[in-house]
Order: sequence, then C-alpha cells, then structure tokens
Amino acid sequence: MTALQDINIADFSWVGAGPRATKDLADNGATVVKVESRKRLDLGRRSPPFAGDSSNADASAFFAQTNTSKYSVTINLSEPRGVEVAKSLIAWADVVVENFGPGFMDRIGLGYEELKRIKPEIILASVSVAGRTGPMAGFRGYGNSAAAHSGHAAMSGWPGHEPHMPPFAYGDVIAPMFATVAILGALEERARTGQGQHLDISQIEPMVHVLADLYAEADEPEKPGNGDPVMSPHNVYPTRDDDGWIAISVENDSQWQALCRAFDQPNQAVDARFASAESRRNNSTELDEWLSDLTRQHTAETLAADLCRAGVPAAPVLNGKTLFDDPELNRCGHFTTLDHPVLGASKMPTPPMQMSDTPSCVGRSPLLGEHTRLVLVDWLGMSPEQVETLQREEVLA
Amino acid sequence: MSMLSGIKVLEFSNGLVDLGGRMLREMGADVISVTSERASDRPHWRTLAWHHGKTRVTVPEGADLGQWALIDDADIVLDDRRPAHTSTLDELRAGRPGLIHVIARPYSASGPYHDRPASDLTLMAMSGLMTITGEPNKPPLRLPGEQAYALTGIQVATAALLALHVRRRTGQGQRVEVSAFQSAVLANYREAIMYEWTGRIGRRTGNQLVRGKSGVRQVWPCADGYVTWSMIDNPSMMRSMVAVMTERQVAGELADIDWEAILVADTPQDTIDRWQSVFGRFFATQTRAELGALSLERGWGLSVIKNLDDVRRDAHLLERYLFVPVRDEASGVETPLPGPLFHHTTADEPPARVLRKPVPVTASTRWGDL
Repeated sequence: MTALQDINIADFSWVGAGPRATKDLADNGATVVKVESRKRLDLGRRSPPFAGDSSNADASAFFAQTNTSKYSVTINLSEPRGVEVAKSLIAWADVVVENFGPGFMDRIGLGYEELKRIKPEIILASVSVAGRTGPMAGFRGYGNSAAAHSGHAAMSGWPGHEPHMPPFAYGDVIAPMFATVAILGALEERARTGQGQHLDISQIEPMVHVLADLYAEADEPEKPGNGDPVMSPHNVYPTRDDDGWIAISVENDSQWQALCRAFDQPNQAVDARFASAESRRNNSTELDEWLSDLTRQHTAETLAADLCRAGVPAAPVLNGKTLFDDPELNRCGHFTTLDHPVLGASKMPTPPMQMSDTPSCVGRSPLLGEHTRLVLVDWLGMSPEQVETLQREEVLA
Repeated sequence: MSMLSGIKVLEFSNGLVDLGGRMLREMGADVISVTSERASDRPHWRTLAWHHGKTRVTVPEGADLGQWALIDDADIVLDDRRPAHTSTLDELRAGRPGLIHVIARPYSASGPYHDRPASDLTLMAMSGLMTITGEPNKPPLRLPGEQAYALTGIQVATAALLALHVRRRTGQGQRVEVSAFQSAVLANYREAIMYEWTGRIGRRTGNQLVRGKSGVRQVWPCADGYVTWSMIDNPSMMRSMVAVMTERQVAGELADIDWEAILVADTPQDTIDRWQSVFGRFFATQTRAELGALSLERGWGLSVIKNLDDVRRDAHLLERYLFVPVRDEASGVETPLPGPLFHHTTADEPPARVLRKPVPVTASTRWGDL
C-alpha cells in the first residue's frame, strides 16, 4: 500500500518547477500521467547530462531524476482534437498540474472554469514565477528570477561583495515543494467538503517564506556569509584534502570546551578572548585563523567524525563525488538504482522520509509517449483504431 | 473554514520541524508548539518567524510525554527532540492507533551518522550545495537563512499530510521519519548526477554560470544597483533585448547576430566576453526600474535584484498580500512577515497574526484548556 494509491494526476508541467512536485506525489503512489509533445519537447529532456546522444529525447539523466514513477503520453495541445483528448484525461484525474506561461491554459481551452465544467471537484495547481495575479503576473522568467525578487540574491555572497547567484535554481526546488504541500492540503479539504480548487503557487513567495527569519530581524540584517548571530565558531575551515573543507558550528560554551579538548588545546578553552560566545564572535578573525591552522592538519571526514564524537556539530563539505559515494545516502535508500532502457542502471533520488505503513515506491522515468496506448485505450476507453489514427495524424505526437 | 480546519498538531520544535508546523498552521491546523530548552537559546527573531500563529507552551524538564493528555487529543505530533527520545517514541503511539508521529532527525536512525550532532551549517555542508556556492578563491559558502532546516520543515509538512491522507482512507496513523540530511541533498539536483554521468566535480565559479565551453555572467551592475540576467540559448529573448538596444543605437555588433544560429554553450569565451561587454555598457546606463519594466514588457527574463526592504515594499507582493503584520504579544511590536503560503480559490480563515507568550502546561492539560 502506498500513501497516494487512490489519486490520479494529469501533469501538464515541464522542466523543473512543476515536475518536482508531481515526482513527490508519484513516488508516493499517485498515478501521474505526464502530458508531453514531440512538437514542444519538455526542455528537461534537452537538459544535460545525457547518456550518449543528446538528441535522444530519452537520454537525459536530468529528466530521468525529475520524473521518476510517472507515465508519459504524447498529446499535441496545439490541435483541437488533442485538447479534447486532454479533457478526457482531466475527467479521469483528481488533480491537474501545470506551469505554462500565464494564460496558456485558458487560450487552449483548459482554464480552471473549463476544468470545473469537466469535473466540478477538480484541483488545479498552477506554478509560475510570480503567481497568476498582480502587476508581475505576466513575468517570464526562471527559478533564478525568484532568487532576485525574494531577497535571496541580495543576501547571498560574502559580506561587502556584490549579490551572488549560485549556479542552481533554488526557486525551482522550493516552489514545487510548496506545490506538493498545497496539493495535499487541497486533497484533504476536498475529502471533507467535496470541493476542488485552483491553487496558485508563485516561485517568489515560497522563496520569501524560507527567509522569514531574516525578515523577522528588527534591523535590516547584513549578509551573513557563513556567520551566525549566536554560534561561534560557525564557519567553514580548510582541511588537508584537495579542496577539502569542514563546517564547524559551536552552539554553546560546553561544545567550545569539547572542541578545545578534541584538539588538545586546553589553553584556548580558558583564553579570555574565546571564553564566551560573544567574545568568540568579537574575536572571530583570530578564532578562525587559530582553528584553520588546526583543521589543515586533518582530513575533513576524519576530523568531522572526531568532533562529532566529542559532541561538536561538524561535517565535511561534500561535492558531487562524495555525495554520490556517501555511505549513508546509499545505505539508507536516498539513492535507488533503477534500470532504464536508455540510461541503463542509474541512481535516482527517493523521498527523504520513511513511512512506517505506506513506504514510497520509486520507479524509473518514462520514455517519451511510452504509455500513450496504455492510458488512452486501457484506462480512458478510447479504441485502438482511434488512437492509431490520431497518432498518424500527429494529434497524439 | 480552511484546508486543515479541525486538525490538531502538537509540535516539539527544535529547528527541523518549525517551518513544517508553521505551514500546517497557515493552512488552518490548530498547532501547539512545545518550546524546548535548546530552542530558548535561539534568537528571538527566529521564534517570531517560525512560531507566530501557534499556541506556545512549556513543559517541565524530563516530563514523561507518553502519558500526556495533549497527545491524546492530537492528530499529528511533529517531533524534533534531539537526540531523539527513542525510549518514548513507541510509548507516544501506544494506545493511539490514529496518531501520526512525524520524527525529524539530522540523519537516518539506521545510518552511519545516526549519532552525529548537526546544525543548519553542517547539514548544508553535507548537501553538496556549499561546494558550488561562492567565489573560486574563497571557502564554500552557505545560502542565507537556515535552508537545511527550512527544506526539512517543508518535508515534515509533506510527511504529515501524506499520513493524514492515508488515515482518512484507513483510519490508521503511522510513524514517518524525515532525514534532514536527505532533505538537503534532495535540493541539490545537479552535482551527484553530473558526477555520475560526466565524472566532473562542480566547483565554485562566482557569478559565472558555466555550461559547456563557456561561462556567462549572471549578475550585472546597473545605474542604481544590480540586476540578474544571462546570455542563454533563448533566441526570442535575445532578439527582444537586442531590438531595444538597436532602437537606442547601443547594440553594436550584437545587431548583426543571428541568434537562431548561435549556441552559447559552444561559443568561445572571448566572443562571449566581447558580447557581454556590450550588454554591460547598456545595463550601466539604465536604472533597476527601467530594466525591470522593459523585462516585464518585452519578456527578457531579466530580474531586478531586490534587498529585503525592497521586497517588503514590492508593489506586486503588496497586491498579493504576502506580508502580514505580526504582533509580538510580549512587546506589542508589529513586524511584517510572510503570511499566506499560496493563493487558492476556496475560503480561508487566516491564523491570528500574533506571536503568543509561552504558557506552562502539565500532564493533565487538555487541548480545550489552552
């Protein structure tokens, strides 16, 4: 038994901001049918890395990890007959998810009012950069846009330096997580009231939410870098590995004493400059230099294990390789190895939770249009001849 | 009536579950937050940010929670007691088959790091995101705020809602264990997979976005601040921006480029740099407001980089009522904080916009007493 085995989802979303939400739901047992088209290929299928030929729509490992456990049908939504097929899918679904540009669903005749006419209790989740209302509702942008509009970019980077944009779209991560929560909340409400609803999830607003602690500060905070207003030391220090670093955060004075004992530095434990968290923060430059001299003598993993044994929060800074090889991620099922017809055996991420009675069940991502016949004939009751004709006429393409 | 009207959530907060409880409260659940000794060391603004709207209580040190009446009344317990009080975990659910018990831990209970202490910083270090954040010649850098805790908190809310959905079908509660480490790693959608397929290990590249042979700039100074925009393979966007520059006679060689025939990732770095210098000179003459308006109108994908105060006063967010005034019951001070999580079409009863003072409770205190 899986948590969402009774839920059907018609997924019109693409790239990252919608598909990550439907992955959460599919990995937990929802039947998610991804509506795609060869005429307007999901850009996720064009995103590296690839297994071999990058022009193969089924060779993207990026797509594969973002779309686990889903089914794929190809429907050309620029064709009116394609839209009619999509309506049949919507009648089957409990939830519809989309992240097209504002107005697209209305223009093709699949706006919320039409969806309600097809199925009054339908839940429609729309994910966009700025939301569906307000002066910026028509804004065209990306996950990085949300970092700029939410304060993330301004607060990222080193103090005194220009804003920083890391090379990943954090808005494409946070917004779909909020979309998952919104959809599950709407399902709970529907179970109680029988009512569906339209959920409007902006990428900017969730990004503001996850900075709520900075917005709560009485004074406009400075960029924090790796510092903390309470804990000290609280930084990243060099180790003797190649580009090796260790993060150490000391939450209180007893951890400070433990850190000094772990490094066999009893004099520092009683040094007035470092005796309290406040004095350590006030002398952070000297503190960081002293600690860096010590951390350079060790490898990150060994030192992190030693400090943790002493009760001090510490961890190596992991990179792509050390993540891939990490014993906990592999042993505890964060990565599961799935066989894929094009990628072969490859590691895919699973939900970061263990449910005692309804464990997740992660399957491989679908090939483009792999389930068109299964979904339309076996599930929706179209005739095989009808499907073949529509495929030949590029309506199902 | 709200999405989660009538659902009772008891939260043992210590960082990892705080945003999860806050999300469930915003969706209409009745949330009681038990303040731990460790949490009382946290700065007041973090309490304000994550606990407004909740009923806050304190319990006596060492209380045997298995016998508590508040747990008898709860639908969901969010549990971030560190180290996890394993001796009482089973006791919490004993005799309460409908209870949903969501436990958040830094690492998996069965994994090699199960007994390691953790903070937001150390979890972010383990996420693989810090190694690619920052400047090439400086140490790895974390994201602002406490993002590992936030990512875990959202997963905690997801876990609670999944289990609630199952309970509605079966009548049975269950235990869900959420790993903060795995929650943080899940946000890193690129590094492990790039290593698996290319053998490449990502490094810090500052504000350069490196794809293929070349790197493109992401942050640009303008007349009164910064904007973000990158040369990416989107011909219509490139044509739209160059059209405006051509009208203003500042496009130079860019006006003659066939953007359909260009693949930025395959263009030599010195060519990219030359083109970028033309864009840079244009941006430097424009204000943030001018560039933002042009981007919205012409679909450039350019965004103004806003500081926190800009965001609080942003006309778009004001029209969407994102910020709500939250009153601190202890001081009477009001602070604008993010309120609604998303917009939706059914009626909503927003929670009280107040940070309540914590009140002491005993084993016999019931939900209705608070």
